[in-house]
Amino acid sequence: MDDLRLIERAVDMNETKISANGVQVYYGDNHAIKDVNVEIADKTVTAFIGPSGCGKSTFLRCLNRMNDTISVARVEGDIRIDGEDIYDKRVDPVQLRAKVGMVFQKPNPFPKSIYDNVAYGPKIHGLARNKAELDEIVERALRRAALWNEAKDRLQEPGTGLSGGQQQRLCIARAVATEPEVLLMDEPCSALDPIATAQVEELIDELRQSYSVVIVTHSMQQAARVSQMTAFFHLGNLVEYDETGTIFTNPSDPRTESYISGRIG
Amino acid sequence: MNEQHIASAYDRDLEAIQAMIIRMGGLVESAILEGTRSLDTRDVELAEKVRREDAVIDDLEERINEECARVIALRAPVSKDLRIILAVIKLSGSLERVGDYAKNIAKRTTVLAELGQIPGTNTSLRRMAMDVQSMLKDTLDAFIARDAERAEQVILRDEDVDQLYNAMFREFLTHMMEDPRNITACMHLHFIAKNIERMGDLVTNMAEQVVYLTTGTLPDDDRPKKDRTAFAAPRK
Repeated sequence: MDDLRLIERAVDMNETKISANGVQVYYGDNHAIKDVNVEIADKTVTAFIGPSGCGKSTFLRCLNRMNDTISVARVEGDIRIDGEDIYDKRVDPVQLRAKVGMVFQKPNPFPKSIYDNVAYGPKIHGLARNKAELDEIVERALRRAALWNEAKDRLQEPGTGLSGGQQQRLCIARAVATEPEVLLMDEPCSALDPIATAQVEELIDELRQSYSVVIVTHSMQQAARVSQMTAFFHLGNLVEYDETGTIFTNPSDPRTESYISGRIG
Repeated sequence: MNEQHIASAYDRDLEAIQAMIIRMGGLVESAILEGTRSLDTRDVELAEKVRREDAVIDDLEERINEECARVIALRAPVSKDLRIILAVIKLSGSLERVGDYAKNIAKRTTVLAELGQIPGTNTSLRRMAMDVQSMLKDTLDAFIARDAERAEQVILRDEDVDQLYNAMFREFLTHMMEDPRNITACMHLHFIAKNIERMGDLVTNMAEQVVYLTTGTLPDDDRPKKDRTAFAAPRK
């Protein structure tokens, strides 16, 4: 009896992509993440929200071992993607990051052509056997990032010559070119104007068909608009994790209520 | 102007909500028709069906309100989108009330089935109900088409319903004065007529909401009011 458009919107929580258990992160003596347990679904956009310093970015960076690059950071607990422990000694962080792509706050294209920006990942991971295959991968990635129409006639021009919104979509194209399974986004729209933001958000909604997307955002409205599941972090704790509509209409924890309604933060 | 949002999921949510209003409207239309038909033919089974199906209408109202709350919380609608949400919340509330009145007619049908007929009333009640149902249909059409003019026409038509009600009010008084044994049936029939008259008012409110949704302002409240029964008193 339900409207088809509403049925399609529903989240299938049965397909877990990432599961984290008892995750603790320390920066030296600072206990930044305190015993976080979370199951992130496949083909879903999951948003992490919370005030500055609440640990949401730190936790995101655990998911592709970006914290390995910080010498004082120590990660404990268990994080599994498709059931495999990503902190296992046998896991190569470079291979992991091909599987778990990342897009950052500020668009950071390589100082190379648009084409090379996208082709770089597939090249170093040996995803293309020849030029024709590489061309195909580049086109597919640019199309997926909704940049193909704007970029197809200027593939050899530098990526840095694009507008901010286009650069961010180029970074998304670069991230999806290696066919990742998970896409992590750390404030992907904070440097963009409202229209470019809306375009990137629409893109995120489309990427959900193929990936598990995890997005960290300062903007609660953005989390509300793009995500199906929302996790609220506060002082290193995961306070509440629920369906986005529930979080924003009827959260169960008073801290979530206070934060989303602008009473603490 | 571009009709579509960049966020296509936003459009899908808005469309789904409006589709639910249309569905609810369709159910209420048939509740009006079937409620009065059950009265007309003293069909207790049909009356029972109308009473049962009111639950579906009530559920839809709840779903629509939940969805509207969700859109307000998640999308922060502005301008026309905001008016859609505000209008939809009021439309669903009015539809639910109209549904309740139809259910009340069905309830009274089960009592009236046991009582004698009051001549002449069935035809008038049927006529009133059909007028209201057609006003509702046109309001919903105007809602889909964003047609303020058609909605304004509906508002004017409430006058006819009021006049039919006035006439019936007088008739019931006469029947009751003639023979006190008619009082029970006439009291029930009068409530039914009043229910239909109230439905007309609610549909008029809905039409006003459609005008608001389309133009951004409510129509002026200068339409003629023809329900004079509040001032009716026995002749000295």
